[in-house]
Order: sequence, then C-alpha cells, then structure tokens
Amino acid sequence: MKEKILQNCGKCGLCLNACPVYKQLKEESASPRAKLQLIKAYDQHTLASSPFLKEIISKCMMCGSCSAACPSGIDHYSKFMEMRRKMVEAHGETPAIKSLIYLLAREYRTRFGVGIARAGQKIMPKVLAEKFKLGNIPLKNFPELNAVPFRKAHDEIIVPKGKPVGRVIYFTGCATNYLYDDTGSATIGILRHMGYEVIIPKDQTCCSIPLLFHGAKEKAMGNIRTNIKALEKLDADAILVDCSTCGEALKNEYPRLFESHDKNLAAAQKIAPQVTDILSFISLHFDLLQFDPKITEKVSLTYHAPCHTKNTLQSRGIAEKLLQTLPTVTYKQTPDFDQCCGGGGTFFYEYPEVSKKMVDKKIESAKALQVTHWLTDCPVCRMNLAGNTEKSDGLTVLHPVALIYAALKQI
Amino acid sequence: MLNTGVKNELIQIVGTGRYLDRPEELACYSYDAFVEEALPDAVIFPETTAEVSEILKTASRYKTPVTGRGAGTSVCGAPIPVRHGIVLCFSKMDKIIEVNTRDRYVIVQPGVINADIQKALLPFGFFYPPDPGSMNSSTIGGNIAQNAGGPRCLKYGVTVDYVLGLEVVLASGDIIRFGSRNIKDVTGYKLSSLFCGSEGTLGIITEAILKVLPKPEAVKTLMVTFNNLDNTAKAVTDIIGSGILPAAMELMDKLTLNAIEDTANLGLDRNAEGTLLIEIDGVKEACDKEMEKIIEKVRKNGAVYIQEAGSEIEREKLWTARRSAYGVFAKLAPDIISEDVTVPVSKVPEMTRRIIEITNRYGLRVGVLAHAGDGNMHPMVPADKSNKEEWQRVEKAFAEIFKAAADLGGTLSGEHGIGLAKSAYLPLVMNQATIDFMKKIKQAVDPVGILNPGKFV
Repeated sequence: MKEKILQNCGKCGLCLNACPVYKQLKEESASPRAKLQLIKAYDQHTLASSPFLKEIISKCMMCGSCSAACPSGIDHYSKFMEMRRKMVEAHGETPAIKSLIYLLAREYRTRFGVGIARAGQKIMPKVLAEKFKLGNIPLKNFPELNAVPFRKAHDEIIVPKGKPVGRVIYFTGCATNYLYDDTGSATIGILRHMGYEVIIPKDQTCCSIPLLFHGAKEKAMGNIRTNIKALEKLDADAILVDCSTCGEALKNEYPRLFESHDKNLAAAQKIAPQVTDILSFISLHFDLLQFDPKITEKVSLTYHAPCHTKNTLQSRGIAEKLLQTLPTVTYKQTPDFDQCCGGGGTFFYEYPEVSKKMVDKKIESAKALQVTHWLTDCPVCRMNLAGNTEKSDGLTVLHPVALIYAALKQI
Repeated sequence: MLNTGVKNELIQIVGTGRYLDRPEELACYSYDAFVEEALPDAVIFPETTAEVSEILKTASRYKTPVTGRGAGTSVCGAPIPVRHGIVLCFSKMDKIIEVNTRDRYVIVQPGVINADIQKALLPFGFFYPPDPGSMNSSTIGGNIAQNAGGPRCLKYGVTVDYVLGLEVVLASGDIIRFGSRNIKDVTGYKLSSLFCGSEGTLGIITEAILKVLPKPEAVKTLMVTFNNLDNTAKAVTDIIGSGILPAAMELMDKLTLNAIEDTANLGLDRNAEGTLLIEIDGVKEACDKEMEKIIEKVRKNGAVYIQEAGSEIEREKLWTARRSAYGVFAKLAPDIISEDVTVPVSKVPEMTRRIIEITNRYGLRVGVLAHAGDGNMHPMVPADKSNKEEWQRVEKAFAEIFKAAADLGGTLSGEHGIGLAKSAYLPLVMNQATIDFMKKIKQAVDPVGILNPGKFV
C-alpha cells in the first residue's frame, strides 16, 4: 500500500536538530518547522505579511538538511523558495542583493561587474582591505578574481591526452569562471588524463539558484532556458559540475520548474539524469587514473562536506571515500565534517554573526587535526572557510580536484 | 500583549534580546507536536536560575500565566500556552555542567538536548537510558517535566528512575533543591517523583542531576515478522512471561510498517501483518543465550521471517526508522493523534484487538505501534481535524480506547504525559479523592495558579 504523500508537517520537531541555523540560534523561528507554520498562517491570512516575516523566512541556508531529516517527506525547498518569492515581491530586496541578481541574470553583466570588481581589487588601498568586512569575511581574505574568465581562457572543445575513452560536458558555474580557475584547470586536467574529450559550452550561464533563493523567479527562468538550450543539443557521456549547488539546479530544480512552471522545459528531464558532480564521476572511473609514483611525501588533509553535496546531490560519502583511496594523501576527518559552515549562498553576507559562529567552530576542529589542506567541493563553502582562516592557521582551502590532479602522472 | 508594566519589568530582567513579542515570533511558540494551538503574549529565554526566579516573582505579582517549554516536541500539548501569558523557553539555558562517570552522574541545565547528553557520555563508555523518539531534539527539562520514556525504558525504566536531584524555582520565585549526587538518597520526601510528570504545573526545573549507566558490552537487534497481528502480540507476552527482559521490544502493524518503509526504504517486509523489533543487551554470552530463547518463542508463535541486524549502521538505521514513526504518519492525513495508553504486558494481545475493533467500528484508519514489552501502546490515527464529523469519530474512538485500557487494569499514559490531550479522562484511572489530592498539592505550591494553567490539575 503506497499512498499519495501529503505535504503535511506533523510538527514532530525532528528538523530542529538537523537545521544548522536553529542549532546556532536556538529560537523556534529559525527552525524549518516554524517556517512551515508561518507560511501556513500567511496563506490562511491569520498572519500578515511584513518585512520581519521576510527576514524570518530568509534566515535560512537553503541547505536541504531539514528535508533530508523529515519523516513526513516535506519538500521544504520548494515551499521556502515560493515564500521567498512572495516576500521579495511584497517587501523588495536590499540594494546589495538586488545588484547581485541584476548581474547574475545576464552573462555579459556578470562579466562586466566582475571586470569592475577586479579593477577595484587592484586599486583598493591596503588599509581598507585590512579593515573592512563583507558579511563575516574580511575583504583581504576574499579570493582574487580570475585574470581572464575561465571559459574565455579555454577552447570550447578540449581534446583528451592519451587514449580517448569518451566525451563529457563541463558546466563550470560562475565560481570557476570568475573566481576559482584553479578548480577548472584541475578538472579539465583530470578529465583529459582519463581520456575524455571535454566540451565547455560557451553559451552556458549562471545556474540561477542564487536568483531563485532571492525570489527572482522570472529572471531565473531566462538563464535556465539559456542553459537548457546550451546543454540539450550536445551528445556526451555525462554533464559534469564542480559545484554542488549548480548540480542541484541542473539535477533537481530544473525538472521541478518544468513540472510546476514551464512546460516548454521538457529537455530539463533529459538533461537531469546525465548530471554528475566531478568527484562522483572520478570515483566511478577511478581505474582510469594513473598516479605519479615519484610522489612519496603524503599531503595531510581533511574535508568539509557541503550541504548541497550531502543533502540534495545524493553523493553523501563519495568525496570522503575518494580522498581516502588517493595514494598521495593522509586523510583525517573532523567530528563535524558534515556540519554546515554557515556560508549558505549569501547567508554569510546577510547574517554575519550567525555565520561567523558556525564557521569558527569548524575552523577550531579542522585546526585540531594539524593538517595542511582543507578540501571542499562548494565555492561558497571554500570562500567562507578560506575567508575566515588566518595565515597562521596553516590551512590551504581548495577543491578536492586540485589535489587529485597534483597526484597524477604526467602523460 | 502583556501590559507595559509587566513587560518593562521582564525586560529589566533579561534584556530586550531575550524577550520576544512580535506576532511573527509568538506564532512560533503556539504549538508543539499535538493538534491544538494557542498564542502566548511573550516568549522569554532565561539563562540563569536567578533570572527564572525574578521572572516568576514578577509573574506572580501580576498573576501572569507562565508555561515552560524546551524544544516543543511534546505530543500531548503540555507546553501549549492555553491561558496565554509567558512562554518560558529554555533552549538557550543549555550547558552540561558536569560529567562524572566515576560517580555515575551528570549535571545539566534544562535546555540540554537529550542526544547531547548521550554524545557527552559516549567517550566514557556511558549512556543515559531514557530515549524518547524525539531525543535528537527534545530537551532534558521537558523530558523530566513529562517523565519521558522510550523503547529501552522496558528494561531501564523511565526518566524518573534517573533523576537524582533537581533545582526547581517555585511560583513564588523561591529556589528549592532536593536529592543529591548519590545513587542512594532517602533523605525526606522523594520530591523528584513529584516533579517528574508535573508538566510544569508545580515549578520550573532549572538544573538536574541525572544518573547514568555504563554501556552494555554487547547489543543484538532482531527483526521478526508475522502474518498475523494477534500472534505478534502473543509472542511479546510469551517472551516477557518467560523471564527474559529485552532492552526494547517494538511492535508495528502493517500500516505503520508501510508508512515507515515509504520513507526509509530499508527493505522491510511490506506484507507482514505484524513486525517485532527486539533488542537485547548485556554480557555477550548472556545475550547469545537470550537470543536463542527469543527465537524459540517467536517461532512457536508463527514467526515468518527472522533477521538479525548485521552491523551497527544497520541497527542505527532500524532505530532511526522506528523513531520516525510519528512523523511518517503526517503523510497520510493533515492531522495525527498518537496516544500512549498502557496495559499490563499480558494484556497486550487483548488491547491490540480492542484498538482495532474500536477504530474499525468508527470507520477510522489506525496504525498500531507499541513499546510492546512494557505494554505501552501507541495507536496512531491519521485524520483531518477540519472535518468535524470525522474528528468527532476520532474523539469518540479514543474515549473508548482509554476506557478499554482502564478496564484491562491499564493506564492513560505510559510516557507522553497528560497535557491537553487526556485531562478529561483522568477519572477513568483515578478516584476523586486522588484528583483532589493532586489539586491540594498544586494549590499549596502555586496558590495563584500561574504555572501552566489550563492543564490537568
């Protein structure tokens, strides 16, 4: 007997201990259960809309931990997304978030904005960079923007080294394109080493998750159509992402929007099953890797599991296993390796105090391991972890692909 | 909203940051896991005993109701502020003060989460036995106020059996402390028994000394299925009757098991009419011996399939699935009523039959779940409260279920408490003189009646 699943919250409270924000604030309003109650009250007109209600609803990482723990099978994600949209419609968005959305909604604007920011980074007086913070992160600790956007620096088609085994599409996401080209270079390096032809569709753009989280659904739909068009026409073994949030978008969110919002997005359903995160892909084809026998000194490292990797991409546990199998690595694990770091998209910017407490706890336990590298496969986690560690902490924060690539034999 | 005088005095005590009264915030403290709701006028987060004392003095002076709250996971409505006033929320008073496994106790503040006590004890090889289904979220203050139980309370006893001492603030603001760090302590009245299960009506718990135990050397978990619910219940009676005391013995009927399996995908047998989850712990050799005996008993009662959990991970999965049972029922209907009537274990088969007969007669679906080894039944009925006609049937059916339990020498609540859910049914299991006696105690310690008013006393 299988019945239709109702979206009813039994208010059992099992989500309280799953929610990183509740655990930090210990106030019911921060909990997923309370947000559902408030949405219900708002829908039934027993609670009026207000800027404060918007604040409560947006004080959320959108990390998906509640849904993963919920015995009633509630899709918090979609409910919160919809409520966020209503709240932004009613009460607007802060100027900073508005400009972010404006930039991400069109690829050329993002490029332009990043260009200006890069110029800004160069001419910013050192005293300012030392003194000021964006959210919980000191400006001086922000990553430097890529000299040239990653996708501009690379051809659309990249041939494999050695014996060809197949072809993959690489959806780079904004972070690799503008911030972390080291992740992109390592990803391509590994895939070529394995024998894959890599296609980086030029027309791809922001996956739209940041826009959807901030209620800009219509703007998001534009990007989504562009991405689907760029991906659907290609024939490949897999569509790879190096960012778990982009992965969540392509794999889960696009098909959901097809169901609920735009029947013209049917190709989303064809694309979704092909989407894999790079670490899962490497694990699956581990036998194609040849490690450099000359490397004798092992790198000691630990790993931070991003919420979207463990909750929504269903690749929980894969990165840890992969890192443990690398011959050039000593892998250590903190007891809180899978706890949220407090980055959460723009959460670190909007709620710096809550976020700071969370990241500091993580840093303490990572430092206690006395390792040199801290790996994570989400760019926001990386920015947050790196941005809050000091040089003296002796931790280099990287995407796991960087160390995997460094361990490979030159062919 | 509280009047400005009270409000200002309370803010004087805790500051503006720990005093909430905007409508959006109050809405978040109007519920627990029960079906009723009521809005408070203010929510306060105390962090020290002294603050609690000052708050209660003020509340007494202004005759403002005060309802204690931890994580709000009660399933009987105990922390719902039906007379409004103040919700005193202890989620931020959450320090583990001392872990002392040599003398076998821990000292904690009321807002500490049950699972966090377990975590703190793990490195020492100890544990705190009471394990309510909500243990990953619920606070120890709430566990004590409700005298919470859980699956392994079959062998180990409920919360009251582990409370060595308490610090309590009375309605007057007076602070009392009783009990001690000693396992044996018969000095004066056993006041911890009075406050365990008082549901916040006699005083506010601000600190607790709890007894802890060394973890047993071996644990074995067994899953047994039957093609007949009656046989399942008889197997329970048989095992307990033979003198074996498992740590836990959980009974699930077909509806419950399927609801769990829909969520957990553990490969449970969806066709089984009855399933038992049995856990034994202790010295390894003794466990092996008991396991043999249990297998013999379930076979005799027609067990179809017997499987032992192979690994700790597998075992944890089974228990996580079992703990989600309340939540999974939310998939079936907008509301769910879960009760916890308890009968002597030899009456489990009869009580199971009566639950099914009664709910069938009222045309309701029922999931029968039970901590069967101690007779603690959890009939769960998914229904729609907004459907008045159906809801009336639900209420009538539960009235009959309570009556049936009482007739079999059972009682109203094995572990949830009375709260709003069962106060009307007290006369089924208590005579008037006993109810009056509870009222006299209440009157003596809370003459104005500010502590959790509108509940069972």
